[in-house]
Amino acid sequence: MTKPIEIHACGTRRDFLKYSLGTTAALSAIAGWAGVQDASPPVILENAGGLLITDTTRCVGCRRCELACTECNDGRSQPALSRIKVGRNYNFGPRGQRAGMHRSMGEFGNFRIVQDTCLQCPHPVPCATACPHDAIIADGMTKARVVDSDKCTGCRICLRACPWEMIVFDREASKASKCFLCNGKPQCVDACPAQALRFLAWRDLTRAVPVRQATVPLTKDGVSATCRPCH
Amino acid sequence: MAEYYGWTGKTLRVDLGAGSIATEDTVARYRDYLGGTGIGYKVLWDEVPAKTKSFDEANKLIVAAGPLTGTSAPCGGRTSVTAIFPTVSPRELVATGHMGGEWGAELKYAGWDAIIIEGRANKPVYLAIIDDQVELRDAAHLWGNGILRATSAICQEMGPETQVAAIGQAGENLVRLATIVNSYSHSAGGVGGVFGSKGLKAIAVRGSGAVRIAADKKAWRDLIRYVLSLFGANNQHVVPSTPQPWAEFSSPGSRWTARKGLYWGAADPPVETGECRADDLNRMAYRTAKATYDLGPNAEPFTVRMGGCHSCPIRCHAHLDVPSVEKHGVSRYSASTCVGWGARNFFRSFPDGRRGMTSVEAAVVGRNLADDFGIWTNYGQLQRDFRYAYDNGLIQANLPAAEYKSIPWERYEAGDPGFLQEIYRRIAFKEGEFGQAFAEGSGRLAERWKFPDGYYKDRSSGWWKMGHPQHHAADEAGQSGVLINMMYNRDCQCHSHSNFIRNGLPLRIQKEIGAKLWGAGALDEGDNFTRMNPDKARFALWALLRKELHDSLTLCNWMYPLAASPHRSRSYEGDNGAEALLYTAVTGDKKDAAQLDLVAERIFALHRALTVRDMGTMDMRSRHDTVPDWVFDHPADVQPFTPGHSKMDRQDIEVARDMFYELLGWDKKTGAPTRAALERLGLEDVASGLARIGLLPG
Repeated sequence: MTKPIEIHACGTRRDFLKYSLGTTAALSAIAGWAGVQDASPPVILENAGGLLITDTTRCVGCRRCELACTECNDGRSQPALSRIKVGRNYNFGPRGQRAGMHRSMGEFGNFRIVQDTCLQCPHPVPCATACPHDAIIADGMTKARVVDSDKCTGCRICLRACPWEMIVFDREASKASKCFLCNGKPQCVDACPAQALRFLAWRDLTRAVPVRQATVPLTKDGVSATCRPCH
Repeated sequence: MAEYYGWTGKTLRVDLGAGSIATEDTVARYRDYLGGTGIGYKVLWDEVPAKTKSFDEANKLIVAAGPLTGTSAPCGGRTSVTAIFPTVSPRELVATGHMGGEWGAELKYAGWDAIIIEGRANKPVYLAIIDDQVELRDAAHLWGNGILRATSAICQEMGPETQVAAIGQAGENLVRLATIVNSYSHSAGGVGGVFGSKGLKAIAVRGSGAVRIAADKKAWRDLIRYVLSLFGANNQHVVPSTPQPWAEFSSPGSRWTARKGLYWGAADPPVETGECRADDLNRMAYRTAKATYDLGPNAEPFTVRMGGCHSCPIRCHAHLDVPSVEKHGVSRYSASTCVGWGARNFFRSFPDGRRGMTSVEAAVVGRNLADDFGIWTNYGQLQRDFRYAYDNGLIQANLPAAEYKSIPWERYEAGDPGFLQEIYRRIAFKEGEFGQAFAEGSGRLAERWKFPDGYYKDRSSGWWKMGHPQHHAADEAGQSGVLINMMYNRDCQCHSHSNFIRNGLPLRIQKEIGAKLWGAGALDEGDNFTRMNPDKARFALWALLRKELHDSLTLCNWMYPLAASPHRSRSYEGDNGAEALLYTAVTGDKKDAAQLDLVAERIFALHRALTVRDMGTMDMRSRHDTVPDWVFDHPADVQPFTPGHSKMDRQDIEVARDMFYELLGWDKKTGAPTRAALERLGLEDVASGLARIGLLPG
């Protein structure tokens, strides 16, 4: 007994799940506050509406999520461009080989495969804050942090700003890219054969997930001016 | 170079002797051979002189992915490693070792379809590939080490994401039964010694590039979901092993073993495999609970998860955590599938029985040693040979007394898994007569120790021919299985036929599907075999051509072809054209199933031509396409075609040969390809080449 498989077009918005955006009113009030003197928009982004949640006990390491990410969004198979990261943790886990092989994670360790996903950070959003061109913005619908490719110059500062190394660089376009939750229908979740990924309402995981890199303090004209009144 | 879909367009040619590295256009040179084994056979035909031996400098290794590798074409993560193959006996001939894992996909992302390795390095080296930066690096610090240490050290040098395919000490020491291993548990059999003979410890790859897909994004995604919807469990078994509310049928032998109450017990916390409906594509990875299927119920609490190759949702490699094996000097972690767990078959018995915990430990200890030393099991023949030699007193008879005494046989008799350290170490380092003899592989071992006639004629030895065992032969598919087992120079490594026959569907439905694909006579009533007919020949040819196609595209021959599916709504039919749909979508080269089968036939014919050339005879029929006596003589007291027995008849198999050769247009008298057959496949140059050396019929 089978039912026809439901087909969703890649990147369509029609299946987008509506989220309650409780912070909208408060953010609007801040944005309207007149403390910002220069042309930069406020760096405070609305919280995202959704989030990818991973279950490392279920991940089987097939990497079909990485492939779905770039095949559905970019028309090519390219894990280096994927906005979900499994391959880099596949062999030895997120912390590499320093604890030894079998004392570590990954295929050569205790077999635990860790999927790295964008945490869709709350304010201050490291990648957006660091971008000298204000090219990382909250998507109009999902409020996911997305790269506005018209504004992105390909400077790669955001790649060093994300503590979780979740920004990728598209060499063909010479632009940065990041997880934009596939406009509300994440292809990675859809492609996972082990229910190891879920798409849930946003919550703040920035303190729960270990960082991957020391970030470089980067400021730009005007940004600190927007921060000072609050800090 | 031009940009292509599917293919990266670049093949790497590495001359180890000269230390030179060159690039060729894959599509311009090899498109008619797809990739994988197709490129392998083509290079051997064009470039390696007839009668070259495995460890000669003139032998070449062709390590090749294919146009689908690296895409999400399900189960496309395989690599074919073709060479003049060390275990073929008495004369070394063309064959391929096949590996899954991550390596082939990473090669594609680095921008390469295949690597041709030639010559011999004057000191140990490894090949380091980071996208288009390719270099030979000194491997002096790696030589002498096992695969795990080599992999670890290379990853320290090149980064933790590097995919390393390395040989262990066995390959270095020119053990014929040697593997190359990538991604912890994915090995290609038989070719490790060829790497060793060339001084090549490993090929390490990191890629950041793309494989381009011709189809538009939505069409590709729809196709992937369609193909996945036809998938069953491992080996394309399409019904569950236990009755399930959603399933019309069940079959105890099926590998669709997930059910409520069956867990990945060592997941932290445990994960239930649970109900895995045929229409739930997000639970496919749980369908095949392979640890308990392979090792029995004792394995459940030690199962961390299932794993497998790049892009595969089926996950046939059981990943275990068995703390109790640490006392035997190996890691508690282990992963493998099927005969990869076969080390327990060295033993005559275990203190707690054949399916007890000790047998699980023996499987894990043996797997961990084999995949670190890099020793090939030859589809379990290594273990069967050991048992045959031990049980018949041949080890004692052939070893010097002191050496025999140095082996702790009391531990063997006690069923102590730690005894496996003795076996594997002696083979990897070719220690003594024991190590040297078993390192040689079945054919040369049997010759060296003068195994009695019974070895070749007795069913229990497993021997088929030319140094290799049977692999899904008469007992599963009658004459079709016999034909399939005749055609290669190693074990046939073909699963197209076996997957279908064992897919769990009622015979009535199998026969309905089979009638459409190969004709009404293709399948018999279980093991009530009937005489040869043309449909059986068509079934065998279909199985072989698809195997060759899969090893070239690459796709997994343990899942494809998708002749059946789990869906009653489709009358349980699969889609015989699934490979063609994937190939067309990825490459943009529009081919239907028949057109792609013709390409596969070209590749298959080239394998045959290479075999004719290197054996130096046209007479494949009686000198190559042989069948062991036990197929006709066992059991002695029943007649062929007695229900319940797979006993075949010699004259009937002659008819099978006739029908099979006729399908291909090969010469019936010799079984060699004719000029007409080769020209039909665009192999005029091969026909002329064979004619020049007097090996073309007619």
